[in-house]
Amino acid sequence: MNDPRAWPGSVRVFAEYDRDFHVSADVVVVGSGPCGAVAAYELAAAGKSVVLCEEGPPFTPADYEIDGAISMSRTMREGGLRFTSGTVLPTMQAIALGGGSLVNSAMCNRTPEFRFQEWAESSELSRTSRADLEPHYDAIAEFLGIATTPDEVQGPRNLLFRDGCKALGYSAESCPRNVVACRGSGECFTGCRARAKQSMDISYVPAAIRLGAQVLTSVRVEQILSDGRRVTGVSGRVVAPFTGTPGPSFRVEAKAVVLAAGVVATPLLLQRSGNLANSSGQVGEHLQFHPGTSVLGIFPDPVDPQFGATQGYQSLHFLRDGFKLETLWAPPGVLAVRMPGLGHPLKQALLDMRFASVFDGIASCRRSEGRVRERGKSLQPAMSWRFHPDDAAILGRAIWHMAEIFFAAGARKILPGIAGLPDEMHSLAEADVLRTRTLRPSEIVVASTHVFGTTRMHSDPRRGVVDEDLKAHDLDNLYVVDTGVFPRSPAVNPMFTGMALARRSALALAGRV
Amino acid sequence: MSLLWTFLGIAFAGWAVARLFLGYGAGDPALRQLASREQAFVRAAADAVFPSGGGALALSGSEAGAVAHVDRYVDSLSPRSRVLIRLLFFLLEHATLVFPAPGWDGIRRFTKLSPAQRVAVLDAWQRSPLAVRRTVFQSLRAIVTMAYFANATVLRGMGLAPLEMESPVIDADLLYPPIGRPKSAIRFTPADRERTIVRAPLDPHGPLDPAYRENA
Repeated sequence: MNDPRAWPGSVRVFAEYDRDFHVSADVVVVGSGPCGAVAAYELAAAGKSVVLCEEGPPFTPADYEIDGAISMSRTMREGGLRFTSGTVLPTMQAIALGGGSLVNSAMCNRTPEFRFQEWAESSELSRTSRADLEPHYDAIAEFLGIATTPDEVQGPRNLLFRDGCKALGYSAESCPRNVVACRGSGECFTGCRARAKQSMDISYVPAAIRLGAQVLTSVRVEQILSDGRRVTGVSGRVVAPFTGTPGPSFRVEAKAVVLAAGVVATPLLLQRSGNLANSSGQVGEHLQFHPGTSVLGIFPDPVDPQFGATQGYQSLHFLRDGFKLETLWAPPGVLAVRMPGLGHPLKQALLDMRFASVFDGIASCRRSEGRVRERGKSLQPAMSWRFHPDDAAILGRAIWHMAEIFFAAGARKILPGIAGLPDEMHSLAEADVLRTRTLRPSEIVVASTHVFGTTRMHSDPRRGVVDEDLKAHDLDNLYVVDTGVFPRSPAVNPMFTGMALARRSALALAGRV
Repeated sequence: MSLLWTFLGIAFAGWAVARLFLGYGAGDPALRQLASREQAFVRAAADAVFPSGGGALALSGSEAGAVAHVDRYVDSLSPRSRVLIRLLFFLLEHATLVFPAPGWDGIRRFTKLSPAQRVAVLDAWQRSPLAVRRTVFQSLRAIVTMAYFANATVLRGMGLAPLEMESPVIDADLLYPPIGRPKSAIRFTPADRERTIVRAPLDPHGPLDPAYRENA
């Protein structure tokens, strides 16, 4: 068993498909991101035969691109150019074995109890409290080696955030991450060359293969097959990596189907499959994000920001106020987009980046919602979303507090990136306009990768898509286990809570098939 | 009268064709996606955002290889995304009809403007009170900025080039071949997992990734 090539499970890659095929299993899991990978592993560990379908290919270090633009175009759906209509919000969903875990910053936060209480009230949930999920959080944390980020790989830019928070009396926590032996390369978003990040493709997926799971990569599930109240499997096409060119057809017959295709793709798949599981009319509704924005601060001394954990520190101080603050690093070309100006002044400003640190704020938006629909007959979504002015004001407060933290940490200037305000602010007094002015949605540059709500969990079948075990109300053997089941924002990064819910759901399902 | 209208119609059509398609010169035939007029636009925009000269970042956008990088980027996108990018270039190339550059000749297409006029045009988009214009500008600048930063000399000049780092061999490397290759292309064996790899925190002033070194 020491040689993965001798494990009972298998993985198929694009080059190995030369004809139509069909397979059968106890359970087929659609999507190998954090939630799907956990579900596949737990089902395999329970002795079930599992087929895990993933539209993207597996990436090896030889396939990573350090260059930000090219990396995004290869790892993200629609080349990283996906955005909502209504309020234009760039949003990225990964297409790779391991899903978003391949290219996220590995933050593993547990949703706070107050937010679970809000979920319980809004969705009439009786067994989805923090205490209910603790055993699942703990099991995943142990499996992945989740731990806070050690100081030796924080790098100055993360520690400056800590120092600024401390000076102001705000809490600052070293980020818990699914990372083992981080080297501080700051390359989480383009694939961890150090293999330190325990993304699903190198952790849960191989573990599931070791237990006998069959992993089909480069296969796009296009239809959920059903018969009355039961689903019978899925069907679709092999697709070429990056181009999506369709190849042979495939079908997986299974006693149960677990959807973990993501908040955008899962509702599309249900809509394409005869509007399945949608007697409530809630499939694709309540599309919610954590809109995020960043502030750049320039310090007197070099920060050497290319070294350090991508997101090493965070502050949970303002969670009840509706936002969370974090440190951030990304490929320099991506961050440089934030630098104002043109021509020689811009080039001069870019030389400041060695002295820069970047903080970002994400907002829990209660009032900002949208929907996901099919875009014609294509497999791409039409997403609409509106950034409510009250939620924009919350993000505005986050920007002000980031400015505070920068100056408390000794920054000589900040670049808030707000339309209509000065490009640079050199003191807290100058930045006070960020505190006194209510920012409008159009004035803030926002983006988001945290998505929820489109297949929400609710105990009432008329008001939600799945129950607390994440089983579809309308069907006996269809489960949805991605973050689309969240009734609302989890207040923090959603991955860990999605995985905990998926684990609980998989254990429940394992007892039923 | 109808003759006059016919003449005016032909003249307008000729002017429109000339504005849209003529006078761009030959593009680089090695590029896979960008037409010669798109290459000209990207070159002009990249050099407006990143002009030549200026100390540690002396390279201009085009000298840094922005046109080839944008071509590679567009080539890696889906057909729909490619259309969006092309529309963006087209829009900004010809938007001077609606938002002219300063000067009596400011209505010419972007690539025909002087360098100073190009900067003025982009600055107007950047500072526009209309959010949609700012978004268009940000999209263009994101593309040329990411292209500029793909250049190793630029990253070295900023002190932000990636550091050298060896990837340890793990179980997954025995399961997955490089993308597009069959599993027979997996070049690792179980013994490779035992190879000693440095796992200590990187030294920010340590050696650069080989692709970003001066002699690369």
